[in-house]
Amino acid sequence: MSRSRRRTQQLYDALAYVILICAFVFAVFPIAWTLLTSLKTNADIVTTDIQYLPLHPTFQNYVSLWEQAGFPAMFLNSAIVMLLTVLACLVVGVTGAYSLSRYRFRARGQILLFYLVIRMFPAVLLLLPIFIALRVLGLYDTHLGLALAYTAFLTPVAIWILKGFFDTIPPELEDAARIDGCTRAGAIMRVVLPLARPGVAATAVLIAISAWNEFLFALMLTTSQGIRTWPVGLQLMVGEYQLPWGLLTAGGIISIAPIVLFFVLVQRSLVRGLTLGAVKG
Amino acid sequence: MSQADPIAFASERRATGRQRRAWHLGDLSESNGWAYYLLIPSLLLVAAVAVYPVGSGVWLSFQRYNLLRAPSPSFIGLGQYDSLWGDSVFWTAARNTLVWVVVGAGSQFLLGLIVALALNRPRMRGLGLLRVGLLLPWLLPTVVAGHMWSLLLDSRLGVVNDLLVRAGILHSYVAWFAQAETAMGAVLLVDLWKNFAFFTLLLLAGLQGIPDELYEAAEVDGANAWYSFWRITLPLLTPVIVASVILRVIGLVNSPDLMIILTHGGPGLATHVLSLLAFNNAYTGFDFGAAAAVATVMLVVLMLFTSAYVRVSGVTRE
Repeated sequence: MSRSRRRTQQLYDALAYVILICAFVFAVFPIAWTLLTSLKTNADIVTTDIQYLPLHPTFQNYVSLWEQAGFPAMFLNSAIVMLLTVLACLVVGVTGAYSLSRYRFRARGQILLFYLVIRMFPAVLLLLPIFIALRVLGLYDTHLGLALAYTAFLTPVAIWILKGFFDTIPPELEDAARIDGCTRAGAIMRVVLPLARPGVAATAVLIAISAWNEFLFALMLTTSQGIRTWPVGLQLMVGEYQLPWGLLTAGGIISIAPIVLFFVLVQRSLVRGLTLGAVKG
Repeated sequence: MSQADPIAFASERRATGRQRRAWHLGDLSESNGWAYYLLIPSLLLVAAVAVYPVGSGVWLSFQRYNLLRAPSPSFIGLGQYDSLWGDSVFWTAARNTLVWVVVGAGSQFLLGLIVALALNRPRMRGLGLLRVGLLLPWLLPTVVAGHMWSLLLDSRLGVVNDLLVRAGILHSYVAWFAQAETAMGAVLLVDLWKNFAFFTLLLLAGLQGIPDELYEAAEVDGANAWYSFWRITLPLLTPVIVASVILRVIGLVNSPDLMIILTHGGPGLATHVLSLLAFNNAYTGFDFGAAAAVATVMLVVLMLFTSAYVRVSGVTRE
């Protein structure tokens, strides 16, 4: 009985590995191919006989991309918008999530639901009035205007994830701090936030990645070179200059490098944070 | 709740002692409205940048408002909807959207579920690295994902064509994104690659919440794995499945990004979807009224779908 059971389990494990390795290859192959392409010379990319490995590995694509076409400026723009968004989301998100996690008040359930429903609004529908409003306010085509739009979108997400993390911190710790003379705000700063640091970091990374990647709003809400973020810039470069594959793949790899780095750093708590919200939500 | 009274009492005592510094954050936190004060910033922001725009967007759909031809809005009632109704492009886009959403969400859910089931075997080794790789596509920007695949599937330089020809499956290279028969399938493949991990992530969390005892009890009663899956796993996973499918359907309906990057809705209208129609109306046509009408239709359909789906799946019954 138990021997046959162990054999079925081993069979399932083997099956699981086969599935996972196939899916892993499917997921990673395009990224690996992009990396390989970015290291090839143009002659090795545009051939009738496809070269699988770079015959003459070179960083030339990276160098020329960095030197031309304002790529560093676009990176800087993206970084500014990303930082503004992360800061605003964290301030607004931490306070909101803390309140929803710790206190029971009227309309609490409705507010949580409301933050979920926000995601149903079509981006295109939001875009038009935001576009008009930003023009009226003089924030159209500015870092601040774009960051404001991102913050509104990402705040509900941040609140759901942060709430999950706050829920796991026992309220007794704050009670103890309060008995020692802390105000409620003091207890948040000195007890809750330090304990929730992995969760806050994971949330910050998720927001940073979303803001870094965003395309549609950036396309609609910016026009000038000085403001344009990199996803828009890259896309327009492809359209305008018939960007060669070598440069394009190099651009892709540079732009995803920070994401991969961030993700590997906070992988564990990020996955945990996303799933906390999902299971309870 | 249980601690509300002593807190209120303490805060009253403190408030009298520190009246002069009432603006101070610490003192503010001792006041009765603290739970609300904490919420106000996020509520205001979301209301200003998400709720107001939706209302104003729906309102826009009842107007004639074209930045080029009719720069000041004028009310025309259902005029925009009337011209949509008679527009064959709208109906083609609606049909394509249906295919895009049903096949997209279906395929991503299936692959996501299979991978989640395979990952949910805690005794296995080496899952950490596999998991990072599996989740990566979901985190990548759509722009890069789109261009990666347009290189992979390129009609002259594409490695996929090369592999398929070498394997004897194809006779010659195929221009996947440029043929009406294959374009939608190719974009769906890119979206499958990019988003199946979303389902994996949420479903894996759901799976880990199912107690092992249930499976052990079923095994004692002689149930096989297939039976346990249908009678234990799926029923207990239903809330997560419903939530994740809704979120993904919303994402598929609302984002034209991949079409903008890969096909512009072409060839012909083969990959034209409603979100792209709305975006094109606004971005290239500057016809905000028409764009708002299409987007409003999308919103209404999404709301109907969500409420019907939630009701049919019975997750709200507890």
